[in-house]
This record gives sequence, structure tokens and C-alpha cells, in this order.
Amino acid sequence: MADPVEKLSISVPASLVRSVRKRVGPRGMSGFVTHAMALALEQEELGTYLEALDAELGPVPPATLRAVKRAWAKR
Amino acid sequence: MGEALVLDSEALSALANVRERGAHSLRARAVLGLARAEKMRVVIPSPVLSEVCRGLARDAAVLRLLTGHGMRVVALDATISRRAGALLERAKLGSAHAIDAFVVATALQFESATVATGDPKDLRRLAASFPQVRLFAL
Repeated sequence: MADPVEKLSISVPASLVRSVRKRVGPRGMSGFVTHAMALALEQEELGTYLEALDAELGPVPPATLRAVKRAWAKR
Repeated sequence: MGEALVLDSEALSALANVRERGAHSLRARAVLGLARAEKMRVVIPSPVLSEVCRGLARDAAVLRLLTGHGMRVVALDATISRRAGALLERAKLGSAHAIDAFVVATALQFESATVATGDPKDLRRLAASFPQVRLFAL
């Protein structure tokens, strides 16, 4: 049940393409771009989600934020 | 494969019920914000869904959360499953702890990972010999 693939025609700076190709080889480009797109999308979506929660529910209380940051640093 | 924030069932429930503004939900939001700032991927091991999704109306909130919110379900494969078995064996734990073992084994797929959990005690034994897996108590 693999996701069907779609061919993309996009414009990317030639020097960037050269650098990526050098790193991943001639057959690694699609995988590399797929991974990069997935990561970037997740970051965008996560940001939008957190901003929507802040707008709807109000920000996380400063005391909670401080406690979590302290515990996070010590994890 | 980068760094990941791995959600266990309590972390996932806390986010699914975020509008109830419970203490766990607020802390889970704060943790997501830190993970985002550190460009960590947010990951849910698929067995966690079997703890959280019990066919009730609340499932809808979980399923909504899993789409378009920057979180990714990591399915079990043979590598993760076998590694979970090895973790149980090493910690001398039985299959009753299988889901915890799947969570730690999924975390081990990444260069480093933090597991956000409601119960770090259970996970600590399984993750003990892996410094790249850290635990965060919600």
C-alpha cells in the first residue's frame, strides 16, 4: 500500500543540486528531497498548530513554561 | 536520522485533550514548543495508538491530531519489533511491558530522542543503557 509517487518539476539553484548530488549520488536525489520536504512540512505544521493553540486557549502559563524548561534541561 | 520527541500514550492523550487545559496538557504543549525550537521530529510509535484508541468517541480527537499537526506515526517493522524483544530480555521484563519496549525501540531509530511520558519509571529500566534516549516526565 505504498503511497503513489508524483513527478515534480521544480526550480532549484544549480549549485545546491550539485552539492546534494555529490553527497547522495545520482539515485539518491528523490529520497533526499522527499525527506527534506517531510521535515520542513512537519516543522511548519507543528508551528501552525502551536500558534493556533496559543490563540484559542491562551499561552502556556509562564510558571509551567519555566518548570518545563528546567526539567527539559535536566532530562 | 536526527533528533526526535517520542510521545507515549499519556503525552498523546494530553495533547488530544488539550482543550481541557489539564496540567499534563499544558506541559505537553510546552514540550512541543521546545521540540519545535530544537527542530526535533515529533513521533508517535504505532503501538501507542492501541493504548489510546479504544474505539470510543475520544478516538476522533486523537485521529485529528495525527493529521496536519506536524506529528508522524512510526509503524512497527521487524527491526523495531526485534529490538523491543531484546530490550525486554535485557531488562528482565515480560510481554506486559511490550508497548513500553516498542516506544523505547522506536526512540532508538533516531540519533537521539526524548520520550515524553507519564510514567518514566517503567521506561527507565528499558532505556537504561542508552544515553541517546532521554526521558521527560509530563
